[in-house]
Amino acid sequence: MEIVLVGNPNVGKSVVFNSLTGVGAISSNYPGTTVEYLKAEVLMGGKKVTVVDLPGLYSLTAGTEDQMVAARMLHSSRPDCVLVVADATRLEPSLVLIFQLLELGYPVLVAMNLMAVARKRGELDIKALSSILGVPIVPTVAVTGEGMEELVKALVNCESRPSDFRVSYDSHIEAYLEVMKRGLGEISLKYAPRGASIKLLEGDENFTEGVPKELPQQVRRLREEFRKEHKEDLEVHINRDRYGEAGRIISEIVHPRPQPRTRGQKLSDLTMRPATGIPIMFGVLIGVLLTIILLGSWLEGMLLTLYGDLIGNFFIDLGNAIGGDIGPALASGLNLSIQAILAIVIPYILLFYLILALLEDSGYLPRVVVLLDSVMHKIGLHGQAIIPMLVGMGCNVPAILATRVIESRREKLILATIIIMAVPCSAQMAVIIGTVGKYGGLVYVAAILLILLGLVLLLGLLLHRALKFEPTSLMVEIPDLSVPRSRNVITKTWMRVKEFFLVAFPILLVGSIVLELLSAYGILQSLVDPLSFFTVGFLGLPAIIIIALIFGVLRKEMSFQLLIVLFGTADLASVMTVEQLFVFALIMATFMPCMSALAVMIREYGLKDSLKVTFASITLAFALGGTAHFILSSLL
Amino acid sequence: MVSENVEEYLECIWELTQGGTPARTTDVAKKLKVSPASVTEMMQRLDASGHITYEKYKGATLTETGMEIGSRIKRKHRLLERFLVDVLGIDNEKSHDEACRLEHMLSDESERRISQMMNNPTTCPDGDPIPALDQLCLRGPDDDSSVLSDLDEGSQGVITHLSCDDPQKIRRIIAMGFVPDRCLKVEEKLPLGGPILVKVGDCRVALAKEYADLVHVNTKRRCGKRQRHRGG
Repeated sequence: MEIVLVGNPNVGKSVVFNSLTGVGAISSNYPGTTVEYLKAEVLMGGKKVTVVDLPGLYSLTAGTEDQMVAARMLHSSRPDCVLVVADATRLEPSLVLIFQLLELGYPVLVAMNLMAVARKRGELDIKALSSILGVPIVPTVAVTGEGMEELVKALVNCESRPSDFRVSYDSHIEAYLEVMKRGLGEISLKYAPRGASIKLLEGDENFTEGVPKELPQQVRRLREEFRKEHKEDLEVHINRDRYGEAGRIISEIVHPRPQPRTRGQKLSDLTMRPATGIPIMFGVLIGVLLTIILLGSWLEGMLLTLYGDLIGNFFIDLGNAIGGDIGPALASGLNLSIQAILAIVIPYILLFYLILALLEDSGYLPRVVVLLDSVMHKIGLHGQAIIPMLVGMGCNVPAILATRVIESRREKLILATIIIMAVPCSAQMAVIIGTVGKYGGLVYVAAILLILLGLVLLLGLLLHRALKFEPTSLMVEIPDLSVPRSRNVITKTWMRVKEFFLVAFPILLVGSIVLELLSAYGILQSLVDPLSFFTVGFLGLPAIIIIALIFGVLRKEMSFQLLIVLFGTADLASVMTVEQLFVFALIMATFMPCMSALAVMIREYGLKDSLKVTFASITLAFALGGTAHFILSSLL
Repeated sequence: MVSENVEEYLECIWELTQGGTPARTTDVAKKLKVSPASVTEMMQRLDASGHITYEKYKGATLTETGMEIGSRIKRKHRLLERFLVDVLGIDNEKSHDEACRLEHMLSDESERRISQMMNNPTTCPDGDPIPALDQLCLRGPDDDSSVLSDLDEGSQGVITHLSCDDPQKIRRIIAMGFVPDRCLKVEEKLPLGGPILVKVGDCRVALAKEYADLVHVNTKRRCGKRQRHRGG
């Protein structure tokens, strides 16, 4: 049995999916969080069920690429049940989507989500709605799990009992539908004839396949005729009738109570009005950075001290117990790997993801989209590009995937280049803060961040000029502000950082042991010396830094972690000057994408463009590093 | 289908009538580099076929069908110029001649895709406006309406119609709930040409001027009162 989850963006589909399957789909309070479909197989009431979560869509005949992808996925599947996750607080768009699914003859089950909020706003007669639409409806509050048991029960019994509900269209349109149905004749279609006829009239290419050739031509004629007579496009009128129907149904089943303006709404207004919104935005941004820097370095210090106290001489003893050259190398490799995790992943990366999750779930991010839209236009993008950039401050991999919400390939490419080259991911931030931030102070961090900001603007301006055509425009739904749920924040954070422990730690461990061995046998130095004209001469860094840079390609944070291993101490100030740390952090901040980011970029943008960006960022990183070294050394 | 020659005439007349005055035979002759006599003859034929209205000493004005063809060809012409210059890097001079020939072959579908690929440019390389795809664009029956992007903060109204140049864009705004007869309220207009925040139904949408320009709203009609449509 196959179930497909469908719904408008930002109605909580991913939360429903998670509680149905136990699989982690990331959910946030803004439209477009899910850009890829997710699939999971679960046992439900003794039946093996495949559950598919589609990206959100407003209409089955949509104009944007991401929604067309979702619509196409629905076309290509033959679900036994379409679970529509509806938003009880914004019923109209959900109903319009349900109409379209019913017309096409899909077996539909509705999860009426966000019931808790809807109940506060008034009465919603679920039973009446269910009998009007002729489909079962289960009221749910997915974030608390309310109604989920009933939903599972209903899903297992989701029989394909087509509903006989119909939207009553304008009599003229109804007449056209008859013409279409006659034209379709006896051809067996995937869809109910009425639904297929409507989609034909709407000119949806997904439905013209397998249809007699003369029908699309006839549709063109009918559309023209309709336009002349009604002074309105047929497609517009079809939707006018759908929303009209939705409005009539809502007036029957919803009895709203007058709402006092809540404090949340007032705050929501303040965050969007430019006069107050822009200061709030800067406040939030600076607050986030300061929290990560100050709280992060405090955490790092505390964790390392605690760890030092806890292990005492354990690893030295362990090394001696194993004996030989290999013993101390193994022991110190293990020790330093653990220290590296404690010094970076927990204080900076975990903290960043926690804050990002809070921001995402509060619904604050779309406000930034609106406020920065006109600035973003200057660099050839529009406001929505902000979200992939912010996601990129966590990790570039989901950020590159998130560029799918941008429609034009040109803008996607600008955005991806900026993300790869100039937006520091959490690992890069950790490198910046943990090295020059810790030993040189906030000024250096600010300097690097300003350089990066300058790069964002410069790259945007250049690419905007280099890649021609007009920029596209913003259109996005702005969700209400809401209080983040601790459960969602914590699971989301864990899902995002777990690979730092599960994937990165083993690599780091092996890498450090190998390096320890190489240096124990004195081979390491001879490996790095040939390149010292570059590292020492041009960049003014210790020759051994090349190892850190190479590992930085694998994972960004590893370059910093390996510094600890390479120098055999977590106190970097004893081995490098502040200027050297600055140069190193600057290089790492703009260095080439890590392996996973590169792989995703190749998948999304092709090999050629990815290699160009990679090459450009390596050149840029070393050019910046060399220049910084030159300036700093001539100043001092 | 009309012949290339007819298209060329209609395009020329379209351009000459942009100032609001009829196109004179001599101007058409000069522009198309043909003799005034053959222009007069053609004008009479076009009048007979219902593409223009021709008055002997005043000149020609386009009928609705003539307008549709003339502006469409001009649109294709300028769009192609833009395409040749921007995408292929051909210089302005050459692009004009080439566009002149290509405009008659270009299918509507390819025209739409070229326009989309370049994100619907509105001017040609010389800065002249590219005529919008007007055949979808219809003045609504409601003449009291104003364009959404012109409304002040706080104003409310009912959507009367959508004027459209690109079916893709229309689908997008329909999908966001901008559909005739629905109510909306302008909540916030961001400065510096920023987006407009609109509450439509229960949803709040931020949309750029480009989209807001397509939505026509009557602020005098009361919200909440739905017009029943015939048929329903």
